[in-house]
Amino acid sequence: MADDPSSFTMRIDVLPLALSAGSIGLVTAVLLVLDSMVAASLIPIAYLIPIIFAAARWGIWASTLASLTAIATSDFFFFEPIYSFRVDNPQEAVDLLLFLVVALATSNLASRLRRETERSHQRERDIQHLYEFSKRLAACFTVSDLIDAIRYYLAHTLGPRAALFVASTHGNFESMPESAPTPPAVLEAVAEMMARVGATGRSVVNTPSQDIWLLRAISSETVVHGVIAINVGHGSRDTIKSRTRRIEGILEEVSLTLQRLDIGKAMDDARLHLQAELLRDAFHGTLSHELCSPLAAIQGSVSVIDTMPAVRDDERLRSLTEAISDEVTHLDGHIRNLLNATRVTAGGLTPRLEWSDPRDIVNAAVKGRARRLAAHRVENAFGDDLPLLNVDSGLIEEACGQLLENAAKYSPSGSTIAVRTRHDRGRVVISIVDQGVGITPDDQRHIGRKSFRSQRHQASIPGSGLGFWIASTFVRAHSGSIEITSRGKGLGTTASVLLPALQTSDLATIDDD
Amino acid sequence: MMTKPSNLVLLIDDEPKIRRFLRAGFEIHGFSVVEAENAAEGLKVATFNSPDLVILDLGLPDLHGSEALERLRSWSNVPVIVLSVESDEDEKVRLLQSGADDYVVKPFGMAELLARSDAALRRYFKSATENPVVTVGPLAVDLASRTVSLNNSRIKLTRKEYRLLHILAMHVGLVVTHDQLLKDIWTGNQRDNIQYLRILVRKLRQKIETDPNQPRLLITESGVGYRLENRLEPSVVD
Repeated sequence: MADDPSSFTMRIDVLPLALSAGSIGLVTAVLLVLDSMVAASLIPIAYLIPIIFAAARWGIWASTLASLTAIATSDFFFFEPIYSFRVDNPQEAVDLLLFLVVALATSNLASRLRRETERSHQRERDIQHLYEFSKRLAACFTVSDLIDAIRYYLAHTLGPRAALFVASTHGNFESMPESAPTPPAVLEAVAEMMARVGATGRSVVNTPSQDIWLLRAISSETVVHGVIAINVGHGSRDTIKSRTRRIEGILEEVSLTLQRLDIGKAMDDARLHLQAELLRDAFHGTLSHELCSPLAAIQGSVSVIDTMPAVRDDERLRSLTEAISDEVTHLDGHIRNLLNATRVTAGGLTPRLEWSDPRDIVNAAVKGRARRLAAHRVENAFGDDLPLLNVDSGLIEEACGQLLENAAKYSPSGSTIAVRTRHDRGRVVISIVDQGVGITPDDQRHIGRKSFRSQRHQASIPGSGLGFWIASTFVRAHSGSIEITSRGKGLGTTASVLLPALQTSDLATIDDD
Repeated sequence: MMTKPSNLVLLIDDEPKIRRFLRAGFEIHGFSVVEAENAAEGLKVATFNSPDLVILDLGLPDLHGSEALERLRSWSNVPVIVLSVESDEDEKVRLLQSGADDYVVKPFGMAELLARSDAALRRYFKSATENPVVTVGPLAVDLASRTVSLNNSRIKLTRKEYRLLHILAMHVGLVVTHDQLLKDIWTGNQRDNIQYLRILVRKLRQKIETDPNQPRLLITESGVGYRLENRLEPSVVD
């Protein structure tokens, strides 16, 4: 089914010419045998049969040759003087000329008819292919299905004339195995089209062979999925036009399918999003009800016991109630981490900004983690010129709390945790300095990843690895950042929360009265 | 505790295990207790038993706590303390504005709830003849003569500083929302700008706190308001 590129050129094959000449010979032989039975005036008409046949079968050149041969042989064999090309009778000369005109006109008409028939066959085939192609497209659910359909279509309709390039994962592109060998100039153009969305098509002339290549991008609104390159040869304008039309036909189908896929993808995304939302709501409900209320009951009950003089005065009993309280606080912290993590992953983190005093935030964080910090000495120092921060104080407090908890977790009991809050070149910097295990360069690379915990401590120190991730997400939501520095293993860690301090109106000097 | 032994507290909570420890905690500290497991029952008990204090859970099965609070407030000004699960500041502010006296966030300790209850009751039952001096640790605020002393020596406050301290002292132990403070102290556009309040609090802390950087008297309730503490805890910071 595939067309040969050479058929687009104006080449005249020898075989049809020989065959058409041969058919004239055959008719001549038959006429010679039947000589006495056929009237001389009918002889030229008999020749019309092979001429029309040649025209319909092999085209205008073969039939023209057949016409000339026919007139020559009939003159030679059947018109006086026989066995000579000379024509003595003027009437006969007119007959022969008339025959030539009729023969040429007939062969022209017949060959045109042949071309038309061929074209309509070709159109029929094209339509059939397009129909099959669109049927395949209808069954596409992903872009890769689509690419497969295009591949199949190109291979079956254009064969070695077409090449398909598909965007691969790492920003590169690769050509499909059955693609035509493509010249460098075309490859270059393909690379350019892959690189940017919006370039729909262009044509490239391959200088050595003078072939014209048509390039068309398969792209949705945001992504270039691939490029189709088709060698339309260097034939007449009509040929190129018809080729281009075919390619446009494919592309129209493709772009409709892409739109459908985009819509489908959007619907899938929405469905997934909704499911995630429902799951999260269920999770929230479950956490807050099924876990938080028993915890509240335990905490409340133990606190009631704790107020009893009999318990307060007994060191052993008091240490037990304190242990229960500690564990409840611990569990509560885990639940809060999970809730925070779902909140962050849901993308539902919109800070509720309010002008706040950084002192209040840091103090609340220290107070909130008081029990976890009980084994450490906490030094809490503030710079004198602290500006107000326009932040969600709850989120920043939680971030600082997470860092404090980490400091307590990864440094020995009795060591000092220093919290320093200062104003530094348009930023408020809250540094939490511990004297703990420190951070290796390897840990440094992974820190901040969700659920990362250093290999060194996984066995010895409990934790989910969510803390730092939550902290950094909360801080980033305020256009701030967290810096972790350490002089090395065993030399302590400094975690600094950096928050932009916006210029406030000059409120410090307001008149009080 | 300065509670009168006869005080009746109404617990409205659907969780039996929460009611159980609340009952124990309140009874041990001299309260009488009535319970209700939903809002409808709670409102009924509140009508017939006229409690001195209501502890209201927000997550009730029949009616949202804030709606129950509004209904209760339409005919009673009994002190109400709300139990909330989430630490949602907006929700707290809304509840305080619709008439709650204070809130505690679960999980909480009995001591904290008792302190809040105590403060709410004291404010409710304070009579005109009572001593007009509010004393918190080293700080004494005389609401009648409008004087403030720290460790028995008079300190001088600006008018706005005193106004702030006065409001907090009137609600000693209870949270007062930013909004309420701003509206009471300032006029015009300034009433909407919390930055004024933050700066004023800083200045007041400079005068009344031993360490203004680690305040123990004038406490910030993040996202909600301020509280003049009525029970001083040992500091966690050295």
